[in-house]
Amino acid sequence: MRGADLSKLVAALRGPIELFVHDARVRITLLVTGSGQVLAQHGFTSSYEVMNVASLAASANAASNALAGLMRVDGWKHMHHAGSEQEIFLAPLRTPIEQLTLVVIFDSASSLGLVQFFFGRLAQEIDALPDLSGARGSEDGVAFERDLQRGLDRIFSPEGGSEA
Amino acid sequence: MSDPFRDAVRRLSHVPGVSGAMVVDANAGVAVAEELTPEVSGTAIGALAGALFSRTSQASLMAGLGELETVQLGADSGHVLIAGAGDLIVVALVSDDAQIGRVRMEAQRAAVALRAAMEPGT
Repeated sequence: MRGADLSKLVAALRGPIELFVHDARVRITLLVTGSGQVLAQHGFTSSYEVMNVASLAASANAASNALAGLMRVDGWKHMHHAGSEQEIFLAPLRTPIEQLTLVVIFDSASSLGLVQFFFGRLAQEIDALPDLSGARGSEDGVAFERDLQRGLDRIFSPEGGSEA
Repeated sequence: MSDPFRDAVRRLSHVPGVSGAMVVDANAGVAVAEELTPEVSGTAIGALAGALFSRTSQASLMAGLGELETVQLGADSGHVLIAGAGDLIVVALVSDDAQIGRVRMEAQRAAVALRAAMEPGT
């Protein structure tokens, strides 16, 4: 994704993501592109954790899309992993330019239903963002690494802050 | 073979003044069974009712009031009634001209039936 597009996109996503985190009472969120570029995050304290989760999200996304293909369905609405103390929710966010993936980690302060409900609202808000219409995603392996590193540098820079 | 979740929803939704009924997994906040009008979002009602009941249950326990049985919300044009059934909750959407006492009784009856159905060996 081009730098100018990225700045506009990140600025446009900040409000909706903050609202989602607040309303759904989740601990951690991460919004990544299909190529692993981190667009927004909340709750992480180190770039190492973000990198790991972003990579896992990208691979889980790819695996589940392959599974959807085998099952001859168009795609999936979300994935949910229930742990004993924390739960993970991954869902595709369809936008006019490319599909993003939202990764959410929550505990007993929230619930799957709450996350699903407020995710639906977030998806509607992001889908309607005019700022997304001019941006384009990266398409190859080199771009994946470059975009992932660029996203990490940005969100953990003093100017970018650690919150979405 | 009868489905206790659907049975509970069906019975409750046939009470006069009840415009919709759901059985919800209280911890996950997702619907187990529902009969709702098309304009009502089961996802939203299940999530928010589950969160509300869960939070109010915690408050009740911390206040030393014991296990929460029902929560009733009053609004301009009706009520939302929630009855606890262990890991489940029974939710009724009630119009303001309904006999709320009867709805409450039926919701509690449904909750008792669900508790019994959820016991091991049943």
